[in-house]
Amino acid sequence: MTAGPAAAPLAETPRDPAPIAMRVAVDARRAADFAREIGADPHTVSLAYPALWLTEPAVRAAVTRICEEADAVPVHEAQRFAYDKPLAIGAVYDLVVTLRREAKPPRLVLEASLTTPEGAPVGRCETVLRIVPRAGLPKGGA
Amino acid sequence: MTALRPLPEAGERLPPLEIGPFDAAALIRYAQVSGDDNPLHLDDALAARIGFPAPPVHGMKLLAAFEPMLRAWRGDLVVAQLGGTFVQPVLRGDKVTLTGRVLRASPEEGVFVRLYAHGSSRAPAIMADATLRQPSSGGNG
Repeated sequence: MTAGPAAAPLAETPRDPAPIAMRVAVDARRAADFAREIGADPHTVSLAYPALWLTEPAVRAAVTRICEEADAVPVHEAQRFAYDKPLAIGAVYDLVVTLRREAKPPRLVLEASLTTPEGAPVGRCETVLRIVPRAGLPKGGA
Repeated sequence: MTALRPLPEAGERLPPLEIGPFDAAALIRYAQVSGDDNPLHLDDALAARIGFPAPPVHGMKLLAAFEPMLRAWRGDLVVAQLGGTFVQPVLRGDKVTLTGRVLRASPEEGVFVRLYAHGSSRAPAIMADATLRQPSSGGNG
């Protein structure tokens, strides 16, 4: 899964954080609520459902820390989901999120892989955040 | 046993789908459901300081809305991939039109669809793509 041309690693910045591993599950109520908000059938699991897992505290904390170190704010630039098999309500998965910084332009890329607890591949998602220095924002910006 | 529908042909246009406009309550609800509570989407004053006349709608909410559009078009196929780039914001109160066109289709590689979301401005808000496959070849059904 790719999102545009590859950018050079940010060699002069601190090392990227260690991958974040989580056991996650598709919660029936959250799946239905999310589906309603995007206009989908609430009895299905949205392709975009893993976006909810990417707001888990461990991932948020890593993104926040990187942005604070850069005195920057993240702006969602691109997103991609790819599946080998469908997500199922109630199913449990292992999610591993890798955070990678890119330099030109400054970006933070979250690559997440989803497998069954037995290790069978289920899907992947990629989140690209543009890292925008606060200094570049209008006065009083975020 | 039901015969498979023929794959769409390159050039076929999907029926457009209009969504929104989304009000403040809708953005609050999406933030609560998704966990994406970035104040930029919820705080008028903050959005104004960034230079937006109104808070932008969550890009993920719009990207995800392509999936029901694709399912309504060809529910016999499964969406195996969906991705996109957020080109410019759609602001709260804007209507959004989702469109799509088949770029190529084959039994081996599936159906590749180019997708666009347009808000009130001429330039697209989201440039996206999706790959759909026949159920036996995997994907998110």
